Amino acid sequence: MSMFQRAKKFDLGCFTNIKVIRDHTKRKAFEATEPERQALRYIIRNTTLPARTRAIAQLQLTQMHNYTRPTQIRNRCILGGKSRGVLRDFKMSRFNFRMQALAGNIPGVKKASW
Amino acid sequence: MSVPRARMLQLMKAQCQLFSTTFNPDGVRTGNKILRQRLRGPALAAYYPRKLVTIRDLQKEFASLDLFVEDEADEDRLEHIAALKARGKGAPKKKKEAAQKGGPRKK
Repeated sequence: MSMFQRAKKFDLGCFTNIKVIRDHTKRKAFEATEPERQALRYIIRNTTLPARTRAIAQLQLTQMHNYTRPTQIRNRCILGGKSRGVLRDFKMSRFNFRMQALAGNIPGVKKASW
Repeated sequence: MSVPRARMLQLMKAQCQLFSTTFNPDGVRTGNKILRQRLRGPALAAYYPRKLVTIRDLQKEFASLDLFVEDEADEDRLEHIAALKARGKGAPKKKKEAAQKGGPRKK
């Protein structure tokens, strides 16, 4: 279980609150267990395997810790930790993106005017 | 003109042998599409920027060269605490002996 807990050493260089740390932990847990998950998913999807094997694989997959589930991962703003209105390309919420863009901190981004 | 199905299957089989793909004429679900997927864990885990160098690290590095690195934020903090203590508003000292004897013990 220890791998699903927060890292002993703080390793984030962006804005941090508990939600960001938790999300980061989930990402690391997913990365660690992804091959196992994919193997189970393969067994489940493979109709040539016996039904019992596939049912066991289904059970094992559903009984994995929920931090290892990719749908638990949510992109958050690296400047404010907000989860809504986050622009994927810039990893920033829309307001932080606006502020940074107007300040000229994001290369290649310019306010449109015509 | 129509080609018989058996002939087409032969062609498909030969094709699969040549290009080393799976011969699956009935379209049975073998779950191979899961195996074909790329792992996305590394990309997802690299979302947040990691902490690279801290002022502490710099201080440790430069200590061997007898150089001092100033940590302004930490100095501000210490100054603030000193000001609080001068006004008698600082945090209380931790109790060591008294808490163990008289105070409620933690189990």
